[in-house]
Amino acid sequence: MADGTTARTTRRSVLTGGVSLLGAGCLGGGGSGDGDGDDDTISLADHPVGRSLGTQPRLGPPPAEATATIVAFEDPSCPRCAAFESTTVPKIRSELVEPGTAAFVVRTAPLVYPWGDPAIHALEATYARDADAFWALFGHYFEEQDAFDTDNVLDRTETFLSAETDVDAAGVVADAESGAYADAVATDVDAAEAAGVSGTPTVFLFRDGQYRTRATGSVSFDLVTRALEL
Amino acid sequence: MDLPTHRDDWRLMGRTARLVLGGPFYALVGVVAAAVALTGFVLSQNLALTRAVLVGRVPASVLPELYPFVGTSYSLLTGSVVLLVSLLVGVDIALVAYHVREHRLSAEGSGGSVVGVLLGTLGAGCAACGSAILAGVLSLVGAAGLVTLLPLDGLEFALLALVALVLSVYWLADGMRGGEIRGCPVDLQK
Repeated sequence: MADGTTARTTRRSVLTGGVSLLGAGCLGGGGSGDGDGDDDTISLADHPVGRSLGTQPRLGPPPAEATATIVAFEDPSCPRCAAFESTTVPKIRSELVEPGTAAFVVRTAPLVYPWGDPAIHALEATYARDADAFWALFGHYFEEQDAFDTDNVLDRTETFLSAETDVDAAGVVADAESGAYADAVATDVDAAEAAGVSGTPTVFLFRDGQYRTRATGSVSFDLVTRALEL
Repeated sequence: MDLPTHRDDWRLMGRTARLVLGGPFYALVGVVAAAVALTGFVLSQNLALTRAVLVGRVPASVLPELYPFVGTSYSLLTGSVVLLVSLLVGVDIALVAYHVREHRLSAEGSGGSVVGVLLGTLGAGCAACGSAILAGVLSLVGAAGLVTLLPLDGLEFALLALVALVLSVYWLADGMRGGEIRGCPVDLQK
């Protein structure tokens, strides 16, 4: 642009900037897991994130009995998921899940840092043994996120499970290392891919069994309740 | 390449921006451009949600929650950088508009503006969704693993946007040396 000599040329440059902004916006949306599927009027049962929902970790009533269902795709290694878990999820639990208004379902997707993958295998192995231990380990990953890396994730997982839960910690780690629950991990990854999720956290919001919208990022509790009109 | 290396260069930028934005029309251009940039940054992360609002499936009251310091999508640091990038886009566009309309000169900084806006969007996206955008973009060039080498989780791109925009503003101000803005000389030193 430095050699532009007329006002017309430079105006074109400005326009180019504007178009670039729009283009970058599209890029951002596509890459953020924002997805653009034809899920406008789909029911939870037919939506990709509803696949195998009954086998997923859930807080609150079954989706069929809840006014709203929140399906969150999260990665233990994702910093914004940690923010989401510390700011938004506690309110979801206390104000929507505990009164029985909403079901909160977690699905995992290893998208951010490499240690998230073995952590997710460990989470599936833990969930297969005990749901409460799963939620404890899930929270532990976010609370101590900075301490984890690919070299220590399973050692720290075993230490935590041994100290804080009743599950067979060594068995969980052995299963995570052998990929014993690879099918369960793949179920979530397949659902994420089918729904166009490529960023975490991404929450899918359903009201009365019907899809409302999705939101990516550590979105606020107010956003969730307003979108669901709760 | 001419860089703002002296205090006088920064004073030139400040004086030029102040003089241009002192006019109501260009102040409005700057404010609108900053608002559009910020809106572009935040809504681009959630196009599906934006579309749901547009078709009336979700109340419009959800949209403010996507902005820094209103909702919880951005940390204090990231939100500040995104806001600063947006403000600089506003200043930058106002300067470009002034330069084009009043001076009939070339906009040397517009290349920098485009780079700044692109990097700003990339940076805002990275920071908002855990580097996924960055990983996606880098994977296009076979460098997805690079994301793990970035200590600021992608905020680096927003910071690069700040640099690009500052350079753009400087080049625009530098290009206006010797001229006048509303009767005031731009260049005080040379």
